[in-house]
Amino acid sequence: MSQDVLVIGGGIAGIQASLDLAEMGLKVKMVERLPSIGGVMAQLDKTFPTNDCAI
Amino acid sequence: MEKVEGDAGNFKITVRKKARYVDDSKCTGCGSCAEKCPTSVIDDYNEGLAERKAIYKYFAQGIPSVFTIDAPHCRQLGQGKKCGVCAKVCQAGAVDFEQKDQIIEFEVGAIISAVGYQVFDPSVIPEYGYGKIDNVVTAIEFERLLSASGPTGGHLDRPSDMKTEKEIGELKKQVNKAGKGLQRFEEKFREASAEFHKKVESGAVSPDDEQVEWMTKYAEFAGMESRLHSLEEKAAKFDVATHLAFIQCVGSRDFRFYPFCSGYCCMHSVKEAIIAKEHESRTNSFVFGMDIRAVGKGFEEYKVRGGKESGIQYIRGRVAEITEGPDNNPLVWYEDTRVREVKAKEVDMVILATACSPARGLDKLAGILDIELDEYGFIKTNPINPLDTTRKGVFTCGCAQAPMDIPESVAQASSAAARAAELVIQIEEKQVA
Repeated sequence: MSQDVLVIGGGIAGIQASLDLAEMGLKVKMVERLPSIGGVMAQLDKTFPTNDCAI
Repeated sequence: MEKVEGDAGNFKITVRKKARYVDDSKCTGCGSCAEKCPTSVIDDYNEGLAERKAIYKYFAQGIPSVFTIDAPHCRQLGQGKKCGVCAKVCQAGAVDFEQKDQIIEFEVGAIISAVGYQVFDPSVIPEYGYGKIDNVVTAIEFERLLSASGPTGGHLDRPSDMKTEKEIGELKKQVNKAGKGLQRFEEKFREASAEFHKKVESGAVSPDDEQVEWMTKYAEFAGMESRLHSLEEKAAKFDVATHLAFIQCVGSRDFRFYPFCSGYCCMHSVKEAIIAKEHESRTNSFVFGMDIRAVGKGFEEYKVRGGKESGIQYIRGRVAEITEGPDNNPLVWYEDTRVREVKAKEVDMVILATACSPARGLDKLAGILDIELDEYGFIKTNPINPLDTTRKGVFTCGCAQAPMDIPESVAQASSAAARAAELVIQIEEKQVA
């Protein structure tokens, strides 16, 4: 039995889920197939509707 | 992901940690290796619009801030040639050609699948000309062109123009090389190639075998030089793209491909048009859609503002075909449904708002996780429990579940974390009791 959680995917959803779990005191293992985390969001310039930078 | 065994609260996971061929405990991310690496590779991060080295970082700000060797493209690892330049210049001694993939096993109580999506490939819609007409790009390619960190530093240089610039660069090298090849003749015969050519043409001189060879080489050189001049003249008139056409529902709301709406694409087209206008005040944009969907907090206001302040015209019509006009300008053929007329609009660049497709390899992952997929290939969920997969203890969120934008993905991610926590926290309590 384990309290740890596996998160598959290091994009924005995976990152957010991992952060929330960690804040709760749970240990997270994240698996990401690309050399960095960030996902598609890392490729975007700005996001709508605020035009904030994506990365 | 290699294997998942067990069940909720008690999963045994087997993962393959792929070799970077760089020791991530030593690498400082300085980049000296990439500077000296002799091999260039097409850059996926920049959607094929730029090149990177065989030793690379996916993008500059990437975390972990560690380099990775793309083994199949590496001269040493992938092609059996002698190199190792990166290892020589690395001051941290981080390059390790002997590194192997690692199989790692561990236990977890819950799993969250947040694998995202991939962009629909519009080559399957031949009437839109993607892949044939240079200046028809996908929205994600356009994002890279708009980015200050992208291949054009945020200038909307047209792909056809960039192709010409590249050709000019290569021709210049060839012309230089050919010019050097003429030097030995010019030194031997003590005459400029052009002058001798005039004499031969006028019949004043009868060339011997060696001089014939010289003149043949000169003709090649002159031909290349002339082509170079005409390309350079053409390039001198190049300008950034200022007339943009955004085509909505490429692959979405389409009975041939995906009948669903991908949700975020109307919004990102509006965004891209607004940002393009910020970069270049002469920009005007046309968004072609059946309707422009702006559901979400602040979205409708954003869309209206785009129209009023950023030169966006919303045209109600589904684009039938895109052809190539003069000067590589795409021609967008559509019916303007408000006046019931078929029209053609000439623009500098077309941006296809492509559909949201399930992530590459999701079917294989679903097999490993033993979860079901829906009829489109996204992770199957229940509207009442939209984050639960068909297997207890395995949750999902974001675009792995269905097309959605960033605020929705983030909200779902927090929810999935809560669902997972609900499950694993109970386990500990039971055990203690």
